[in-house]
Amino acid sequence: MLKKKSWAMVLLTGILSLSLTACGGGGGTAPATSDPKPAENKASAPKEEAKPAPAPAPTSTYPEKPITVIAPSGAGGGLDIASRTMIKALADTGLVKQSMSVENKPGGGQAVGLAEFVTKDPKNEHKLNVMSPPLIINNLRKEGNSPHSFRDMTPLARLYSDYEVIAVKSESKYQDLKSLMDDIEANPDKVTVVGGSGPGSQDHLNVMFLADAVGIEPKSIKYISYDGGGEAMTALLGDNGDVLTSDTAGLGDFVKAGKVRVLGVSAPERLDGEFKDIPTYKEQGFDVEYYNWRGVFGVKDMSPEVVKYWDETLKSLSGSEEWKKVGETSGWVPGHLGAEEFKAFLEEQETMFKKILESLEMLK
Amino acid sequence: MGTLDFLINGFSVALQWHNLLFAFFGVLIGTAVGVLPGIGPMSGVALLIPISSTLTGGLGAEDAAVSSIILLAGVYYGAMYGGSTTSILLNTPGESSSVMTTLDGYQMAKQGRAGAALAISAIGSFIAGLFSLVGLILLAQPLSEIALRFGPPEYFSLMLLGLAAVSGLAGKSMTKALIMTVFGLLLATIGMDNVSGVARFTYDIPVLYNGLEFLTVSVGLFALGEVFKTILHKEANEGTIAKITRIIPTKQDMKDSAGPIARGSLLGFFLGVLPGAGATLASFFSYVMEKKISKNPEKFGKGAIEGVASPETANNAAAGGAMIPLLTLGIPGSGTTAILMGAFIMFNIQPGPLLFEEHPQVAWGLIASMFVGNVMLLILNLPLVRIFAQIIATPPKYLIPLIVAFSVFGVYAVQVTTFDLVLLLACGVVGYFLASNDFPLPPLVLGLVLGPMIENNMRRALTASNGDYMIFLQKPVSAVFLIASLLWLVIPLVLKWKGKKVDITESM
Repeated sequence: MLKKKSWAMVLLTGILSLSLTACGGGGGTAPATSDPKPAENKASAPKEEAKPAPAPAPTSTYPEKPITVIAPSGAGGGLDIASRTMIKALADTGLVKQSMSVENKPGGGQAVGLAEFVTKDPKNEHKLNVMSPPLIINNLRKEGNSPHSFRDMTPLARLYSDYEVIAVKSESKYQDLKSLMDDIEANPDKVTVVGGSGPGSQDHLNVMFLADAVGIEPKSIKYISYDGGGEAMTALLGDNGDVLTSDTAGLGDFVKAGKVRVLGVSAPERLDGEFKDIPTYKEQGFDVEYYNWRGVFGVKDMSPEVVKYWDETLKSLSGSEEWKKVGETSGWVPGHLGAEEFKAFLEEQETMFKKILESLEMLK
Repeated sequence: MGTLDFLINGFSVALQWHNLLFAFFGVLIGTAVGVLPGIGPMSGVALLIPISSTLTGGLGAEDAAVSSIILLAGVYYGAMYGGSTTSILLNTPGESSSVMTTLDGYQMAKQGRAGAALAISAIGSFIAGLFSLVGLILLAQPLSEIALRFGPPEYFSLMLLGLAAVSGLAGKSMTKALIMTVFGLLLATIGMDNVSGVARFTYDIPVLYNGLEFLTVSVGLFALGEVFKTILHKEANEGTIAKITRIIPTKQDMKDSAGPIARGSLLGFFLGVLPGAGATLASFFSYVMEKKISKNPEKFGKGAIEGVASPETANNAAAGGAMIPLLTLGIPGSGTTAILMGAFIMFNIQPGPLLFEEHPQVAWGLIASMFVGNVMLLILNLPLVRIFAQIIATPPKYLIPLIVAFSVFGVYAVQVTTFDLVLLLACGVVGYFLASNDFPLPPLVLGLVLGPMIENNMRRALTASNGDYMIFLQKPVSAVFLIASLLWLVIPLVLKWKGKKVDITESM
């Protein structure tokens, strides 16, 4: 009898502790509240030596309340990780003293999270939104159109970018982008391009930009979308596709193991680290630069002081040692842009996407 | 032998006291995650990632990675274990791979054999876990090569076979089963089409872009449908609560389950290796297979212990099999392994072709800890059976609000939209009417789960072949699956057409 009780206790404790975290995630206030409590900072031991980056001059008392970051993806998704990493780094560096938490709003390829952010509580200056290129693409394209654009928010900073690549199996006859694109031009039926995301999204557009740059009709390209980069890689390795379009994440090991050859990268100049020998598209005569950026946004009517606060805070964050370390471990390429530059960058991106979507007849 | 050395080394990592502790908490939380509907293994693992990194903060980089991943993997298979509990006791499947368990599990519980059902699923899961572990150690490399060869045509045909099989399984009328399959496939077309990017049946409502959430539909159909049935029919004659006669399965139960467990382990492991629908297909196939080869197929659906043992074994074996593409290729085979992979990457460890060379400590430590975790789960779960089995003894007037609360909470937790609650309610009503008119529900659920995958793979195959349908027959593996699914549908018809005589000899 006693034994039974103790088991019940164990179970009860388990369920309780679980439901605590679960309620957090489900109810909206996220579990990873990185309240900068001393206990939590034990993880980053060398904090004492690392000089805390200079906090921006406090022009006002903002932030007065805890800050919520809306991540328009499920727990564990790309933007969720970006958001959680950001608030942890902001707390670790001591740049933001208020507690910050992440709220997940998955669905609709970011459209649900965006609609929620723009329409609900539009005066709340204590909430932020982290988004990536689908913000622009979803607003432009015909199908699954999202009525909101970046103009319904205040761009605060571009946090970082990663880039797209074109890769083939190591046994493939293609050694450079040119020979591949020539073949595609001659026989679009013969070359199967595989990617981890649907039409009108990063992986797809990566190839389309290249095709467009050399005058190949983008629609003629045989593109097959898989559910995620892993599946697309499987297809390439299993000879169910000839060419892979992908972001750089997770590709490094396949290159090192000699299974895959990367033909080109969409960055403006060569990357560091494991991709340092990969020529850019531009080097090979393709006038294409393509960023998979992550940016931070505030509500549309943010007061100038608050915009200034975040502009400076996020700038200091990008310069901090902590953020550099995060970048190294996550394979992110630092690419900070301040509020003004980011806004201009978004305009440019919009023009670029508009053009390619038009040629694919996917424009609204 | 190198492998053995590595394995021993792995055990020395996994048996360090703090790793034992992590494994224990992992499986404990995992069991709870599995028991609560709504928080599936996927969200369970995702929610624990930040916590695990905080917990292991004091350790060195490599050690922290091993410990965290041991904890998270514990949650994963703990949840696979625990998932059977609600299916059996409350008729509430927490994930697609435990849908089949509800068919006989809930019936057993109603008959007062909840204890036996829970115990056999724990034992079956344990054996499956060990089996897939041995398979993982011995066959990881060759199997990952085979998984690679599985392209869109093969997937398409395999899933078609899955649908054909489940249509043949259910109830008295094959027509009704086929209607349900098609209904499921139709529901699956809602949402943004992955291949062309076209939004279908979404009416510009953003929550519909991702399609109907599987969990909402199945919890509505099964759990709420059952609730409505209990309320409306009052079940006057069944008013007396089924007495729990015994907790431990009888000798006969064990004997009956031995075959299904062995076959379920094998089937589950190999299907689990295939990225995609491994665990779900495995549980459906193994159930159908047991019913086909059983001497008394009419027992199935009415509380046959084989009907619990086989799908539960298969889905756990599949969880083990799914680790193969993850560890050797860096390709996550399911949503949960995708999140596990995220955890690996967070610790700067890239699962993939180089994992075993570059981080042997992590890879083998994880494998050894899976063994430890499985033993812990068995020790943890068998005594819990006694407690859980009491739940079924709760009078309906308390049990029904409990089921409703669990369903609502679980469904809301996944996407946090009220739309899902409306959908849940609607599915409950639909489920009630379908079930009371003898329309089988599992084909609908399988259709919904497999629909997008079947469609995408078919279109991928056709894109690759420039529209030539012969690609499905030119690939030998695909052709075999197609012929098998054709036979599955045609043979019963032929037998029926030939007259009753054949039918009788067949069922004898």
